[in-house]
Parts: sequence; C-alpha cells; structure tokens
Amino acid sequence: MSNKRQIAVLALLGAGAALAQDVPLEGRVSINLGKNSPVALAGMSTGDSHSSSRGAALVLDLHMSLMLRNTGSSRIHGVALRVVSQEVTVGGKGSVSIPSLNIGPGESFPVRIDMQLMRPTQAVGGPLVDVNLDGVLFEDLSCYGPDRLNSCRTMTAWEMEAQRDREHFKRILAQAGPNGLRRAMIESLARQAARPQLDVRVLRAPAVTSAALGPIRTEQFAFLEFPDSPVEPLHGWAQVAGNEARAPRVEVRNRSAEAIKYVELGWLVSDPGGRQYLAASLPAADPTLYLPAGMTAHVEQDTALRFTRDGQPVGIQGAVGFVSRVQFSNGKLWVPSRADLERGALVKLLPASAEEQRLGDMYRKRGIDALVRELGKY
Amino acid sequence: MKHPNQATLALHAGGDLGAISGWRTRRHVARCADCRAEIARFAECRQIVSSLDDAPEMHWNRLAAEMKANIRLGLAAGECVGADEAAGARPGWSLARVSVALAGVTALLAVGLLLERPGPNVARETGVVVQATGDGIQVRQGGQSMGLMHSGTSRDAVTYQVGAQGSVEARYVDAETGYVTVNTVDVE
Repeated sequence: MSNKRQIAVLALLGAGAALAQDVPLEGRVSINLGKNSPVALAGMSTGDSHSSSRGAALVLDLHMSLMLRNTGSSRIHGVALRVVSQEVTVGGKGSVSIPSLNIGPGESFPVRIDMQLMRPTQAVGGPLVDVNLDGVLFEDLSCYGPDRLNSCRTMTAWEMEAQRDREHFKRILAQAGPNGLRRAMIESLARQAARPQLDVRVLRAPAVTSAALGPIRTEQFAFLEFPDSPVEPLHGWAQVAGNEARAPRVEVRNRSAEAIKYVELGWLVSDPGGRQYLAASLPAADPTLYLPAGMTAHVEQDTALRFTRDGQPVGIQGAVGFVSRVQFSNGKLWVPSRADLERGALVKLLPASAEEQRLGDMYRKRGIDALVRELGKY
Repeated sequence: MKHPNQATLALHAGGDLGAISGWRTRRHVARCADCRAEIARFAECRQIVSSLDDAPEMHWNRLAAEMKANIRLGLAAGECVGADEAAGARPGWSLARVSVALAGVTALLAVGLLLERPGPNVARETGVVVQATGDGIQVRQGGQSMGLMHSGTSRDAVTYQVGAQGSVEARYVDAETGYVTVNTVDVE
C-alpha cells in the first residue's frame, strides 16, 4: 500500500474512532433510592451521554444529573450513591458522595454523575448502570441507608471534620475579624496549591515484584503521636522496592476505655530528596474488627502502591504513620483535632477537609462577605 | 502524461489553488481518472479531519467565573501584602508574598489545564489497577474499565486520596452545583 493510501486508511480509522453516537439510555440506567427513603428523585437528565469506538473497545460516556428532594423532616448533611455497572465492573465499584450539605425538608439539590465505561464488545440488554442510595447523613449525625460502602462512617467523619474546621475559621473571625479570616483563607488556598502530591496506582495483583524495581527491603514505620488519640500505633513495616511499596502492616493498641471497631492510619513516604508525601490511608482490613480496651490488633493490607511523578517512577523511602480515624463499637468516631494536624506539620501534607475546600472555593468565587455570612449559618 | 504533484491535488481538493494553477489542474483532472480518484480520496480525508477538528465544548461562563475568582484572590492577597507592609512588616519572602505567587501559579495552571486537558494514563500492570487518570479515576482490568470523571474541573482543582485497600478518591467543588463532590472507585 502506498504511503498516501496508508495515510488515508489511518485517517479513516481515526475518524471512525472519534465519531460519537448517542446512547439510548432508556431502561439502561436503574435508580433505586430505597423504600421509605428520606430523598426522592425529583428529576433526571442524561445530557450528552454518548458512545464511541476506541480501537476494538467501546467507550460509553454517561453524564447524568439527578435532582433529589429531601422528603424527610431533618436537615440532610450528606448523601452517598453507589454506582455499579454489572457489565463492566471488573471487580470494582464506584460511589458519588456529596458531603457538607445543608438541605432542609422539602428542599432539592442536584447530584451529577459522570461515568466512563470501556469494554471490548457491544452491550447486551438490561441496565447498564445501577445507581443506589447508600447513605443519607442527617444534621444530628444519624444515618439512613443500606450502607454497603460504609458511607455512614465516612460521611460522619467528613461531618466531624467539617464541624472542626468551621469552628477553626469562626474562631479566627471572632478573634481577628474579616481581615484575619481573609488572611487565613488565602493561607489555606496557598497551602492546598503547594501540597506535594505523587501519582499513586494501587495494584491488586499477584504478589510478584518486578526484578526491574530492585531489591526488596523492609521499611519500619515511625509514628506521629496524637495525645488525644484513642489508639496508639506500636510498630509496623512495609516492603519497599524502587517505586513500589506493598503489604503494609502496623500493630496498634486501644488505649481508650471503650471497645473499637474500626481503625484507619495515614501513611507518609519520602522521595530521595527527603520531601514527604501522603502515600495512602491504611484502613483495617478486617470488617469484623473488635478491639477491646487495652488490646492490640494489626492494621494491614495486601496491595501494592506504585509512585510516579510526571509519568516517571519515584523511588520511595521511609514510612511514617499516624492515626487518622477511629470508630468505637458504639458508633462514635474520633478524628484528629486541628491542633493535632498543626502540631505534626500534617496540615501541610494532608489535603484540606471537604469543608475547608468548600469554604475556600466560596471565598475565592464570592468574596469575604459571603464567607462570613456562610459561617454565620452554623 | 505529467501528473500534478500530491500537494497540488490536495490543494485542489480543498479549492485552495490560485486561478491559473486551478484552471491547469482542472484541465488535467478532466481527462485523468487516477488524479480524479486521488482528489476524491483527499476530499474524503478532509471531511473526516474536519469532523475531528470540532472544537471541544467550552464552558465559557465557568471559565470566566474561575478567572474572576482567581483575580479576586490575587487582589485580596495583594491587599494582605500591602497591609503587612503598611504595618512595617519585615522585608523578604513573607508568607503573604509566597501566597500571592502560589495563587498566581495556581490560576495559570488551572486555566491552562482547562484549555488543554492531559490524556489519561495507560496502565500496563496486569491484574486490577485503581488509579487517577487525566480527568477522572478508574478501576481497570485488561481491556475493561469503569471510571468516574470530574468533567469541567481542572486536575489541579481536584484532591486525590488513595486507600491502600485498593481505592482512589477524587474530591472537588463542582463548578455548576457549588457542592463538594467525592468520587470513589475501589476494588471489591
């Protein structure tokens, strides 16, 4: 084939791959909010959802916008939806959550779900995507929902962080006025922009480490101590080779007077230049964990994390852990205080809470007066 | 018979030849089947390329709001610096100056990424991989993947968090709704 014909064929293939088609979504999206749900579907749009070919694969871009209405009698502070595609899920699942809400009875709010599904063949019949309500968090921290993704625990922790951070900014407003608050918001936004980040991929693969990664070594964890933490990390390690860390394992002790059913640690690593990054959260793997007062347990995961920056592997070293979330057997949660985070310089390494992110965005777009009014609502 | 070269035929297919070259080429094409076929192929390619060339949908209002917000932030940060200096603050790299610089860089990066989003990474690993891509997060195995996208938000405005159990979380403020949205994908 001549060069010009090859070009023409390639152009035709490229064009074929890029030509998008509308996806008929009637009957292909199933939305289930549950019986006696405190939210009702007030409207739905599938916007410009479309499919396209990419090589031999079919790519479906689904853009859904749901309008949910609070049909209960309590204010809603968070919602979590479980999103699954039975045809494509490959052992995975997704969720879309909206924390930091403040929706009164009878009020409506939008939830956007943008999904991309890729599969090698054409679709068969039946729902393409199932959207199920997983949890609704109320103002009093009670929760409704099947909670298959532990959304209630996650949303409660977000809400506690939101209360903590609102109090922090309200205190600044009371002590230093709007100018002090403005300065604090600018510092927060600058800190978020400057926060060091690595690209991390999580592999659930057979425990075979590539020879190219280099020799495997065991990195011992060092720990940041929070005086008011109900859990004390004792010792731990992870296997590290090149830019890969796997199988972290940390022993913790319950130093509170109450039994504990969930522990989550934060895990920091350093690059060869000594710069620290938040690598991952490290939750306890055992869903039936029960840790009585004074007893110890292991927090461990059997996955591998690979670290890159700008597509290049980043060799990692060191491992630092800290307790980031604890749930007692009575359902109550503990999260680090603002003082804990500032004491360990963690405030520069950890992402801002969802609420601090929301308040920062509000200040950026609507100014200090809008932010002062917003803080006054709580 | 001497045929026009490829460039001339391509220009002819697009009607971009000058008057004399166009007349000469039309005369040749009228009696040369090979060149007619070649021109037809060029015309076909042009059509395909023009359909590829459609500009992506730009959310101008959202972009304008982002730029306005960043300008507001820069001005506010500048006022803080001014206030510091008026109060006799120390010269040199104060926190407020660093904040201004960072806010400016962030604004530039955010606008740049909005205009030209990076393509998704390609996972080469075997097994199930959970990762952030250019415009979303995904769980992928072989040729199949499921992703939750953060459309209309630049990557710099998204906070990613990884769970060692096999999850990735993307958190951002939805520009349309103003609500914080947390997308999570994880391996069962």
